[in-house]
Order: sequence, then structure tokens, then C-alpha cells
Amino acid sequence: MLTDSRSQKWELPQIEKPINIIVGGYGSGKSEVSVNLARYLALDKTFVNRPISILDLDIVNPYFRSREASVELEKLGIGSINPEGAEFYADLPIILPQIRGAIETAEGTVICDVGGDDVGARVLSSLAGSFHAATYDMVLVLNLSRPFTSNVAGCLKTISEIEFSSRLKFSGIISNTHLMDDTNEEIVLSGIALSKEVSKQTGLKLWFVSAEQKILNIIESAYIDIPVLPLNRSLLKPWE
Amino acid sequence: MAKILMKGNEAIAEAAIKAGGNNYFCYPITPQTEVAEYLAKRMPEVGGVFLQGESELAVANMIFGAAATGKRVFTTSSSPGISLMQEAISYMAGAELPCVIVNIMRGGPGLGGILPAQSDYFQSVKGGGHGDYRLLVLAPSTVQEAVDLMMLSFHLADKYSNPVMMIGDGMIGQMMEPVEFPDVYEEPELPEKTWAITGAKGRKPRVVRSLFLDPNKLENNSWHLYDKYELMKKNEVRFEKYKVNDKNEILIVSYGTMARICQTAIDEIEKEGVSIGLFRPISLFPFPQDDIFTEASKKNIKNVLVIEMSTGQMIEDVERAVVGKKKVTFFGRTGGIVPSPEEVIKKIKEMVSKKSKTKKKA
Repeated sequence: MLTDSRSQKWELPQIEKPINIIVGGYGSGKSEVSVNLARYLALDKTFVNRPISILDLDIVNPYFRSREASVELEKLGIGSINPEGAEFYADLPIILPQIRGAIETAEGTVICDVGGDDVGARVLSSLAGSFHAATYDMVLVLNLSRPFTSNVAGCLKTISEIEFSSRLKFSGIISNTHLMDDTNEEIVLSGIALSKEVSKQTGLKLWFVSAEQKILNIIESAYIDIPVLPLNRSLLKPWE
Repeated sequence: MAKILMKGNEAIAEAAIKAGGNNYFCYPITPQTEVAEYLAKRMPEVGGVFLQGESELAVANMIFGAAATGKRVFTTSSSPGISLMQEAISYMAGAELPCVIVNIMRGGPGLGGILPAQSDYFQSVKGGGHGDYRLLVLAPSTVQEAVDLMMLSFHLADKYSNPVMMIGDGMIGQMMEPVEFPDVYEEPELPEKTWAITGAKGRKPRVVRSLFLDPNKLENNSWHLYDKYELMKKNEVRFEKYKVNDKNEILIVSYGTMARICQTAIDEIEKEGVSIGLFRPISLFPFPQDDIFTEASKKNIKNVLVIEMSTGQMIEDVERAVVGKKKVTFFGRTGGIVPSPEEVIKKIKEMVSKKSKTKKKA
């Protein structure tokens, strides 16, 4: 099933740096994108012999965090560093010392999934020294359907707030506009249009668009001219 | 307004603003803190009040004071925080003040945990604080319903001059779903607040209180409140039925997000030819007692199955509704563990196979 998720219609994302920090507003879909990106890299032949790991740096959300997918990811050889025992479930700002090590001595490709908004991104500030020692890309996940990033001005505000609190600079954008099960072609395409405008105004590179495979299936290939990451949702609600 | 994607906690906050709930007092606690976080940004934009108190005790009494001015006021918290607010809630019920309280429930008792639970049912519908009083209690199962019921809560609080509580397990607060808001919240006309303390310029002073030293007056107040609760029972019962029909073998009674898990289980087991119906109370007080009785009494129903994220609380009201006519069985997980559709299916299968065994013996 996983290999089926590879869309053949579009170019797949290119990941260049060892450290990839996935940041964005609350509910932009950072965790789902992070999990899917890690899975895509783990299955990509060009990444063979390059260990993939995912670091859950979300210290602001108590539920629906990427650590919930860690067992599934482990089966694909994707490493993760999570608090053990009861602390796994805690809403405490726990950053294990191993995280710093994983960033500073990254051997393969590391995906960092960060909590939402400037509040969630503040955790990066404490690790900024480690990030500066490595080579990183910090990418903004944009979802036009979210109230505070529904227009260019809102996106620019989010960018400056996150850069301020994280003490790191963005280098790219991921267009992840969706409305959960109500997502349609128009929503995905209008999200790309917004991301392009933000990219134009900020000079940040538009990395790729991510969307659920079932939506991508109905979009004509000519409508998307940037790389595409098909999503298979991992962080599901109990009834899904 | 077009649909947007919102976390339950944010949607509840925005819905309050739509309904004119512009006075918010809070103290942070997981899993509802995003309500406060959102309103800290939004309240200044709409000229409302955002105030973080020094504790839930302080907050509840700020609500008490603010409600006495006749303005729409509300607070949100989670289980242990709601426990701390009980004294002031009882005072507000006694003084007949409208306000809205949201409880995004986590596992208890005590500090418990931070994961979703429904173990504050008793606290919500059976009093919580002291004295002869009731809260009108609503329980949404989707983020959209949380929006709709939040706006309705303000209306009902004013209509009955009584605190209204909306309860949801942690998931209601934390999950993201598409939601739509009305441009303007339209509601039926409400009586003028002739009791509100607004400065006694040119009129007689008004007193808002719950102290009645004369026992006759206190008794009168309690019976007056009682009449109001009877009126709620007549007018405000709300529920939803899912796949309830005359083929059902079992009637599940479940509320909140737990009911959605039951829906998934019902859809799955239907493929195996087992017909199950779901009765979802939306108002927990007033409880849809008569309607549950009617459905449970039907000949085809062999068993009523109550499913909760607790060790069994609402089941007592379901048993009371069914009055011994049918067997009432319970299934639940608690402490932050959410039952999976598979667990629900397993429970249903156990019950169905037991029944067929009994039939064979007969």
C-alpha cells in the first residue's frame, strides 16, 4: 500500500539538508506532513543507507502528536527519540538530552516536528545553538483553511513571529491546505496559489504541496507545477 | 461564511464571541488551554474582556460578579479546575445568574491525567456543588456541534437565568475538524434582565444574592428553581438517533465523541448482518429519559448497552429511564483510554452470541 501512495503524476520532493525543521501554525498539518515525509524518505531508494529519524519537538499539544506514529515508523527503520513511560503522555516541556545529540551529530536525515505557532516554535530557540552547528532547512507548513493563515498578511505575520521566537530563519514553504474530509481540488489548488504568493513576497522556496492521495487522484497533472508529497494519514481519530 | 479548519477549543472560543459572549475569565489547564490562548488574541479585537485569574476559584467568582451585571460571561476549564469552581456555580444557580461553563474533561479523580475522559458526568448533571440546583448540560460529539451548542448555551442560560454547562471529552477540545460559523447568531427574543446590576441611577437598587435566612423564603426559592428545571425537562431535551430501526437487536446509548466510535462499530458490524441502533443524548440534563424508554421498550430490543469513557455514570440515568424493562449492560474504558471500535464490536458480539446460546437452550 505504501508504495502505491507514490504519485507518478508529479515530481517528488527533494530533501537536501540533514536537518529539516517542520514548523507552522496550529493545525497546519505539521505532524502529518512530518510523519509522511519521514516515511517517503525511508522508502526512497536514493536514501538507502542514510538513516531517517523523526524528532517530536511538540511541547504544546497534548494529543495527536507525531510520537503516536513512532511504532509504525520504527517498522520502516525510522528512528525517533521520545520520553519513556508515563512522560510519553505528558504535556510537559520535555526535551531529552539525546535530542541535542541527534541534531548536532545527524548522520542521515532528521525531520523535526515542532509544535504550532510562535509558542510551539519557542522550543527551537533553546536548541538554536545545536541547529546552527548543523545544516538545516526550516520549512513553514501553510494551511489556507486555518483562521490565522487564511491570507498573505496572516502568513507573513506567522513567519515573523516564528522566526522571532525560534531564533532560526525559514528557507522554504510546504503547501498543505486541507479541510480534513471536506478537502477538494479547489481547496488544494487555492492553497498552492497562496503559498506561491507568500513565496514570491518572502523569497522562500516553495518546496512541495502535500495532500491526501485520494484528492491527488482527481487533480489533473497540469494543474500542479511543483513537487507533490502524497499523504497517507497516520494520526487518526479513534473512529476513523 | 466558508468552512475553516479549527481545533475544538478554538472553535468553542470563536462560537462564544459569535453569540456575544465577550466576557471571558479563565485559568489554564490541559486539555482546554487553547480556548484561553485563542481568546487572548481575539478578545482585544472585539473589545471584549479576557482575564486570567490567579486560580479557578477566583475565576468562578469573577464569573459570578460579571454575570450579575447581565452581560454574557463564560469560562472554560477541565475536570480538576471545574471541581474548584463548584462553590461559585452553586451560588450562581441559587442567585439565578446566567453563565456558560465549558468542561473539556480529562481523566480523574484527583489530578488524574491529561487524556480524554467522560468521568465528570455525575458532577455535571447531579449538582456538583451544594443545594437543590441543576445545570443545563449539553454534550457535543463534533467540533461543529460544539460551535452550535456553545452559541445555544448562551441563549439557554439567558432564557432560564441559570448556568449552562457544555461538556466534551479532551478530544472535542483537541481535534481539528472543518467548521462553519453563521455571519450573525440569530436567536429568539429573550426577556429583559430586570435583575441586572447596572448602577442604580434613576431606579431602585437591585440585589443579587443566594442568601435567604428565612427558611420559608429559601424553600420558596428552591421550589421556584425546581419549577424552572421541570420547564427545562419539558422544553430542552435534545438527542440524536443513528440507525435506530425495528431490526435492531441492541440499543447503544452513548454521548460525545464516544458515540462516534460506536457509529463506526455499528457500521462495521452491520456488514456481518448484526443490526444495532445508537441513541445519543445531546442534553444530559434534561436527560432524554422518555425517549430512551420508548426506544428501549420496543419488542426487537433485547438489550441496552451503555458505553462511556468512565467506569459507568450515565448508565444510572439510562437504568432509570428503562425502569427494568430491559437488561442494561455497560462497557467503558477510563483514565484516558478511549475504547476502540474493535473493542465495541467485541462487546456487541459477546452479547449477541450469549443471546443466541440462550435461545438454543430454550
